Amino acid sequence: MSEEGKIRPRKGSIWSGTITIGLVNVPVKLHTMIFDKSVTFKFLHKTDGSPLKYQKVCIKEDKVIPWEDIVKGYEIRKNEFVVFTNEDLKAARPESDQRIRIDKFIDYFSIDPVYFDRSYILAPDKNSDAYSLLLTALEKMGKAGVGRITLRTKEYPILVHPYNGALVLTTLRYAYEVADPRKLEEIKELKEPKKEELDLAKKIVADLSGEFDITEYKDTFRQKVEELVQKKTKGEKIIVEKPVKEEARELMVALQETLKQLKKK
Amino acid sequence: MSEKLTKVEFTNLDKVLYSDLKITKSQVIEYYINMAPKMLSVLSDRPIVLTRFPNGIDKEGFYEKDAPAGTPQWVKTFRRYSETAKREINYIVCNDVDTLIWLANLAALEIHMILCKVDSYEIPDLAVFDLDPKPPADTNEVTEVAVLLKEKLESLDLKSYVKTSGKKGLHILLPIIRGYTFKQTREFVQKIGEHLKDQTQLVVTERSEANTQGKVYVDYVQNSHGRTMICPYSLRATPHATVSMPLEWSDIKKGLNPEDFNLFNVTKIPGNPWEGMMENRQKLEES
Repeated sequence: MSEEGKIRPRKGSIWSGTITIGLVNVPVKLHTMIFDKSVTFKFLHKTDGSPLKYQKVCIKEDKVIPWEDIVKGYEIRKNEFVVFTNEDLKAARPESDQRIRIDKFIDYFSIDPVYFDRSYILAPDKNSDAYSLLLTALEKMGKAGVGRITLRTKEYPILVHPYNGALVLTTLRYAYEVADPRKLEEIKELKEPKKEELDLAKKIVADLSGEFDITEYKDTFRQKVEELVQKKTKGEKIIVEKPVKEEARELMVALQETLKQLKKK
Repeated sequence: MSEKLTKVEFTNLDKVLYSDLKITKSQVIEYYINMAPKMLSVLSDRPIVLTRFPNGIDKEGFYEKDAPAGTPQWVKTFRRYSETAKREINYIVCNDVDTLIWLANLAALEIHMILCKVDSYEIPDLAVFDLDPKPPADTNEVTEVAVLLKEKLESLDLKSYVKTSGKKGLHILLPIIRGYTFKQTREFVQKIGEHLKDQTQLVVTERSEANTQGKVYVDYVQNSHGRTMICPYSLRATPHATVSMPLEWSDIKKGLNPEDFNLFNVTKIPGNPWEGMMENRQKLEES
């Protein structure tokens, strides 16, 4: 696979702890591996270009509600909530114990990617001997470790697997988070294809077979937007207008006089 | 110095709000700053309703009853069920220069006020005669009716105050002691309107006749819960940036042109014909 377009990971780790396999401990740090590069836009006010902020507005009172007056509601039925305070939730949440527990080892390719959630780089912490040993063993055997981690306040099923000369941790989806395609009517009643058709299809697939290279794919929308940004910054510039004090000087003179007048009364 | 003078953060000061006269938002703000002392004496402690024209008067404005999202904390508001809107409204209350400037910065060219104060929402403190001419009747016909009205009110020992609507009509106001209901003020205004009808063929008083050509409609229904009136010295969204201008009764005569009062000259007209109006609360005696 081509290495073009790969980004350098950030130096700072987001988590540190140990991989525990039975009685063996491998000290590791977690680094961000996935960087979302989707095109994002900020919402601006059309008439003055000022960025917009989100506010929590009470639906009934049509009023902005301050943080201290906000609680969480678990919707049991439509519009029916059980209220939770932060204390309630804190007590229920799993505590991060700085451990990646490996329960067993499996064949890496036996896991379907639909369960893959998000990958993190595992780096050795302090001592790299145990890390190197685990990595090499997994590489040689084509295996991956399955286990659990608590990140922040959520517990995830995870996979520890070798990737490109390093260990990578990939969080997995819970079984109940993945829909079963066979429950779709259209998929339930699929007919067996005819033999001649299948032969032809197999030929096409064989002809188009190749090596996987993710760098062949580009986000064309992102490229277009970047081109447009280039053009717009040269010509038609969009500047966020900040309240300019100097511009308002005449107004301030008028205001000063008015305030004086009001004070006299 | 500017930072301490106002809490308002100005935006888009150069936006042209009146295209014919190239009046910018900055000029509108300056106008309202200058008029603040005269406006606040009437405007204070009243729920108000805005008509905003963020893209200038050529584009459709919008009527805003509720304090908009992003209303600063220091702006006073008043929450009350409105009969006309059939729901709770979080009204803005404009008691100081900062709020007035903030409104101007919102391009709230027109400021409409409710005929009562926040502390007694059900009880009006003003009775209003809204005189509106239907073409070919014009301001001339309205002045004729207004003078008859003023004389009738004088005969009842009532001192009335007059202003242009900023368009073709005139508003005649009676500051009243608090204690009457809207129903009572409405019936009072209706009764006087009917009396005028006996005196001149010019007047109609019922909504069904409101659009009769050549007549002056005395709208008594205006004296109702939640109804508003353009506030004195408010700008109007008219091509000439006219103002709802308080006048002396001696100015109310044939030839009066409401378009003579606009953003440019009103600030230079000295005095205030409505000075002390709100201290002159009167009883509505049986007529």
